[in-house]
Amino acid sequence: MSTKEKTWWWVGGVLIILYCLFPIAWIVSLSFKTTADLANKSFLPSAWTWENYSTILTGTASDLFLPALRNSFGICLIATAISCLLSMFAAYAIARLDFPGKKLILGTALGVAIFPVISIVTPLFNLWRQIGLYDTWPGLIIPYLSLTLPISIWTMSAFFREIPWEMEQAAQVDGATTWQAFRKVIVPLAAPGVFTTAIIAFFIAWNDFAYGISLTSTSAARPVPAALGLFSGASQFQDPTGAIAAAAVIVTIPVVVLVLLFQRRIVAGLTNGAVKG
Amino acid sequence: MTQTTLPPTEKTQPVSAPRGSISDRSRAERKLGWLLAGPAFVVMLLVTAYPIVQAVYYSLFNYRLTDPDNRSFEGLGNYWVILTDGVWWQAILVTVIITVVTVAVELVLGFALALVMAKALSSIRPVVRAAILIPYAVITVVSAFAWQFAFRIDTGFVNSWFAWLPGVSDTTDWFGGQASSLFVICLAEIWKTTPFISLLLLAGLAQVPDVLQEAAKVDGATWWQRMWRVTIPNMKAAIMVALLFRTLDAFRIFDSIFIMTAGANNTESVSFLAYRQTISRVEIGLGSAVSVLLFLSVVLIAFLFIKGFKVDLAQARGER
Amino acid sequence: MLGSAAAAAVVASTLAACGGGEGGSTPTLTWYINPDSGGQATIAERCSEQSNGAYRIEVAQLPRDSPAQREQLIRRLAANDESIDLMSLDVVFPPEFAQAGFLAPVPEDVAQEVSEGVFEGALDSATWNDELVAVPFWSNTQLLWYRKSVADAAGLDMSQPVTWDQLIEAAEGQDKLLSAQGRRSESLMVWFNALLESAGGQYIVESGESPEDIEFGLATPEADRASEVMAAVANSSAVGAGFTTASEDTSASEFESDDAGFMVNWPFVYAQAQSKVEAGTLDASVPEDYGWALYPAVDEGTPSAPPLGGIDIAVSAFSRNVDLAYEAVTCIVQDDNQAEYMVTNGNPASSVAVYDDPEVQEAYPMADTIRESLELAASRPLTAYYSEVLGCFLREFHPPGSVNDQTGERTETLTRAVLSGEQLL
Repeated sequence: MSTKEKTWWWVGGVLIILYCLFPIAWIVSLSFKTTADLANKSFLPSAWTWENYSTILTGTASDLFLPALRNSFGICLIATAISCLLSMFAAYAIARLDFPGKKLILGTALGVAIFPVISIVTPLFNLWRQIGLYDTWPGLIIPYLSLTLPISIWTMSAFFREIPWEMEQAAQVDGATTWQAFRKVIVPLAAPGVFTTAIIAFFIAWNDFAYGISLTSTSAARPVPAALGLFSGASQFQDPTGAIAAAAVIVTIPVVVLVLLFQRRIVAGLTNGAVKG
Repeated sequence: MTQTTLPPTEKTQPVSAPRGSISDRSRAERKLGWLLAGPAFVVMLLVTAYPIVQAVYYSLFNYRLTDPDNRSFEGLGNYWVILTDGVWWQAILVTVIITVVTVAVELVLGFALALVMAKALSSIRPVVRAAILIPYAVITVVSAFAWQFAFRIDTGFVNSWFAWLPGVSDTTDWFGGQASSLFVICLAEIWKTTPFISLLLLAGLAQVPDVLQEAAKVDGATWWQRMWRVTIPNMKAAIMVALLFRTLDAFRIFDSIFIMTAGANNTESVSFLAYRQTISRVEIGLGSAVSVLLFLSVVLIAFLFIKGFKVDLAQARGER
Repeated sequence: MLGSAAAAAVVASTLAACGGGEGGSTPTLTWYINPDSGGQATIAERCSEQSNGAYRIEVAQLPRDSPAQREQLIRRLAANDESIDLMSLDVVFPPEFAQAGFLAPVPEDVAQEVSEGVFEGALDSATWNDELVAVPFWSNTQLLWYRKSVADAAGLDMSQPVTWDQLIEAAEGQDKLLSAQGRRSESLMVWFNALLESAGGQYIVESGESPEDIEFGLATPEADRASEVMAAVANSSAVGAGFTTASEDTSASEFESDDAGFMVNWPFVYAQAQSKVEAGTLDASVPEDYGWALYPAVDEGTPSAPPLGGIDIAVSAFSRNVDLAYEAVTCIVQDDNQAEYMVTNGNPASSVAVYDDPEVQEAYPMADTIRESLELAASRPLTAYYSEVLGCFLREFHPPGSVNDQTGERTETLTRAVLSGEQLL
């Protein structure tokens, strides 16, 4: 590659970085603006303030935001854990075992993945209020499984196919049962794949909005994206732009941290299979 | 709303069962297979099959949540009302416009991003890769708010930054009309999901054999010729699968519209229409019918892709 | 002897602690409130204390805009949810809730007590089928705000009633803004209804039991006149950029700017400007230039019919403590609570006497104008199908610049079709 060409690719890379980070930089900047500054029509605040953060963390909106943050973390982590556990077993069976119904399971996963969330929300709402799951953690965890399970099954079965299965067979030859072989040999080998899947599943659960606004109504289970619509300004007619921006920044921090720590794994998880065609 | 990943395209290695009593072994395997995969299968089925069956049932009734005593059987009446109403077709039109525009732009832009990433020097590559994952990982609602605040006439900076463009001035009200609202909605969607497409395409690029590229180069093919004749044909599978999943995703758009315009100025998508009938108007019957129609539309799109464009999902799933 | 007394004291205090904490002997009432600046939570605490352990009120917050508040409440109530005892309902919703049987009937004595000395418009909004179904808590109304300097320069005598046409002319003449709310939301209905009432019309002439019996007043000359005024304002050069997305907050900001001329808006704008002055982000001379008058009329000689807003408190029919809940309501809506709420949270009281409170008078130099405005204020259409009525209205009347003499009739037709289930919304 010539130096000139190198420079161009480098410029391209920098442009991509700008493109990706610009809206994030904007919402961060917005979150540091004072109420009077919000309409200053410029990108940066004229005076920086922590006012918006104190509103949502210790001030009037903290009763809304903090429980929502707790709910979001709790619900998404539990949903991720359950989804990983279930799909781990399923993916193992799909990648490794020969049994009728494999196609059915994969087809179902595909069907569920393309299912419009809005079509599920109303019937689920009706069912949840009959059986008392409305506005509870399980009431969100279960629908989140429908979002995370299909992807987890795909991603994980792709990872599982790369595992050197001879080792399992070796273990079986040594007298271990299929179950023991799975637990003692495959689980440690599969851990990285499971971990990656967990991150992606967490992103998906964390991103939910439609279930959050439809299946909750108090701080007992309301997640952050749904709580953003509840902030208010000093009066009911004032837009809570600053508080929303600050809350948006806070919910973005966990995903940014995950991305920075595990970027290589996430890319592998998202594209697995395609690379190794 | 939902993000999708590319299903694995690997083929299953045939399982070579160890020698021994084959039928016992396969029966045990069969049982274990269902034992392991069963729970996930049941959960997926329960969370989606039950609701859709209930939605189909309710869609046959005139049923208002606040007036349950007057629930009455309508047959296919609700569907007739919806399909003869301009509002439904308006929502379909808006949804199709958003889908076509965003998916087309994302494909081109995503391809460009993938090329840059493939070529980017190793010094900058990890940074680019981390940056590109951020829009993917950011909550849709947050992205919608960010773009809305940027374009809004009071809080935004876009008007003052781009005032030199024809048609943009300090007083441009982006959310005041259908076309400009849709423009901003599409921008936000494109920003959020292009990185995902570009990662899939990057993976596809890696699949193109270097030998073919080299051979074309030797034959004196230009960069463009190599792109059209070698690179793209060899990535067809990756492109088609990415297209399918993004199309289905875009067609279900809800969050961004809810945040940015709440359906004002004819920017209502089909998902939003369904939400409004059931959740806002508490017309469970009518809303369920919209939901069922939305579901059928998605199934139809998937079917067209699979049959029409011959996207081989079986292969994509590693099932062949 | 002493020992056993001490032991008894310990036991007693433990019991008391249990009683307070467990809610076994002190029933907890859950009050779903609209977001405010903490005033309702304060009142809840105070009433809990004053009840001497008869009940404890906990607040739970609803979304910010009123349609979303309704959505949450209605879905919970349709599920016969027992966890709601009290709710702060926007004044447009009691009919729908009452019709659906979601509201516990107001006991005779309570009805009498809470109706005394309350603005008539506020009572109307809480009444359905000739019975009080909710209790007025605070009442909002829009005033005509003007910059004294601009009105002077335009030679407009603001001590006399003014019309919309005069305002347009004055604002255009002075090259200043006339701020109103053109956004596709409740606020557009607020505006149109005020125009219609001022023109002598009514959005709903006769509200029937079933949707087919509702008689609309939209295909009338009065509605045409209201539409004409609305379009004239929206198409005048006096409205700000982005009029079709302008909310109350947008208007308030416009009115603080150098281009400010006239504005129709709720009284929060005054408190907002004051707090900005305190924070040092607004020059003190700005609010000093604020003047206020009654809401503009559509024509010379027609009455001013200011919009009526506010919150009613309703008791859920599924509450396990209906009697206690009504006890709590009577405590909440006491005059001193309303007065304090008005001073601290900026929401005007629905009790007439509160406007004589010296603190209120001090905080609100325009208290008398607000009172006068509330006496004239007209409710928005009272119907059990308000959200449909609003939805159809917004579909036809937004953007406000496109409104003409056909719009009213089209809206009426659409509303009929939607209510009879023949059309989507």
